[in-house]
Amino acid sequence: MNGAPDLELDTAWMGRMGEWGTTVRPGKRGLTLEDIRIGGYGELPEESDNMSGRPRGAAERPEAFRIGGYTVRSKREIWLENATFLYEEALQRQWSSATDIPWETIEPLPDDIEEAECALCTFFNEVEFVAGDVPARWVANISPDFFEARNVLLAQVQDEARHMDVFRKRALANGGGLTRVTGATSGFVGGIDLSRDFTEMSSRMHVSGEGAVLSMFRMGELVGQNPAEKRMYRLCAQDEARHVAFGIMHLRYLHATAPDRHEEIEAYLDEAENLSLTGGTNPAGPQAETSEALAILLGGGKQHYDEGFRILLAIRKRQLKEYMQRVKSAGFGERFENGRSPVPGRIAALC
Amino acid sequence: MPTFPSVDWFNAVRERYNTDQTLHSGGGGPCEAKAALCIGDSVYLLEFEGFECAEILEIDRDDIDQADFFLEMPMPEWIDMINNIRENGAADLDHTLSTIDLELEDGLPRAPGDDQYRRDLFYRYNQNFQDFFDASAGIATTIGRVD
Repeated sequence: MNGAPDLELDTAWMGRMGEWGTTVRPGKRGLTLEDIRIGGYGELPEESDNMSGRPRGAAERPEAFRIGGYTVRSKREIWLENATFLYEEALQRQWSSATDIPWETIEPLPDDIEEAECALCTFFNEVEFVAGDVPARWVANISPDFFEARNVLLAQVQDEARHMDVFRKRALANGGGLTRVTGATSGFVGGIDLSRDFTEMSSRMHVSGEGAVLSMFRMGELVGQNPAEKRMYRLCAQDEARHVAFGIMHLRYLHATAPDRHEEIEAYLDEAENLSLTGGTNPAGPQAETSEALAILLGGGKQHYDEGFRILLAIRKRQLKEYMQRVKSAGFGERFENGRSPVPGRIAALC
Repeated sequence: MPTFPSVDWFNAVRERYNTDQTLHSGGGGPCEAKAALCIGDSVYLLEFEGFECAEILEIDRDDIDQADFFLEMPMPEWIDMINNIRENGAADLDHTLSTIDLELEDGLPRAPGDDQYRRDLFYRYNQNFQDFFDASAGIATTIGRVD
């Protein structure tokens, strides 16, 4: 009509779809990832040969470049049964350090209390950098066929970014500032980033490291001097408990599906228990600088340091007990009965 | 005026928690957990689903396995916490669930079978449980007999 040649539209691509005809409806919790695990879209391969970044369930394109250098391509290397649930929970329970913390309730504190609080905030800034950096590095290594677990790690990176910023804000909010770095990211904590295997990383970071930090966040709420600090620590503890849940459920999955890896996992736990949980690098332990800050806060000032330290040791005992219960929940509790783990002995020494 | 503790009292709190958006603060979000409260000789099961507390039941102590975790304190301490919330509009710094938890040697939450994964739900959703109890501030309450 307008003089243009009469070309036939090539719609051959329309015949190259993934599984077609799916229909899902939102449930009580909205339209969740669990709701769309249907048909072929919900089937996870035991081994993934997807190196092109193809979304799981999409049709293949033979000429696609191998853009992903994925090293985690086996389901049992990465999986956990509640990944979709943890991801949705992470998204829906986000909070803002700018507007959800009642910063206006912070008032001037005695110098020793303020300095101790700032030391703790500096420490949390340091370790949360590690807790954000490490999963961020792993995300790009994981096959997109296991995107649910990948997404949980992405949400964790966002959580850790918020933890870094909220503790930085607290340190700068009340006449103090950041203190000298504690060096907490040297040694075991920094070594988490040297893990070559995902489960090695997860057992170090989610189960041992974040489990210990979870106890410290809860301590933070106990020593909070105002509603702002109470809420800051409580909301961080909620996020941290979710990260710990990832690690426990991943180990539980491996316990059930990969008996050939049990001894290897026991070795990761040996390392964590000897170097961190019962060693000098536990930030709530008796040798660490941060433990002095905690004791000052728990006691209510330098003059009550001994009382604060007594409370700290009691809480540390709980930290270790909770770690034991988590490892038992993951299926690896025998180590506490057969003398392999140093944790029961350390608990007895604290009594 | 409902009496603490009773199913009627918890349902009054539930009604306020479910309908007052100011009680669903940042970080509160949806919650999936069953919490049992052991108060005196009674056990109350609170089922949280999404943004709501969906149901309150009084259960037998033998059925406590239905809960992910349970909280148990002597009656005077429950009453102290409830009175503190009523007086202040929300728990003050010494009466939040987390503070009470850390002041007890073995902590406040327990889980059936000592399953720490289920016990950790208390920490994962702590703001919801605090918001729920803080909702009791606006409920006219008769305190039950302290034995």
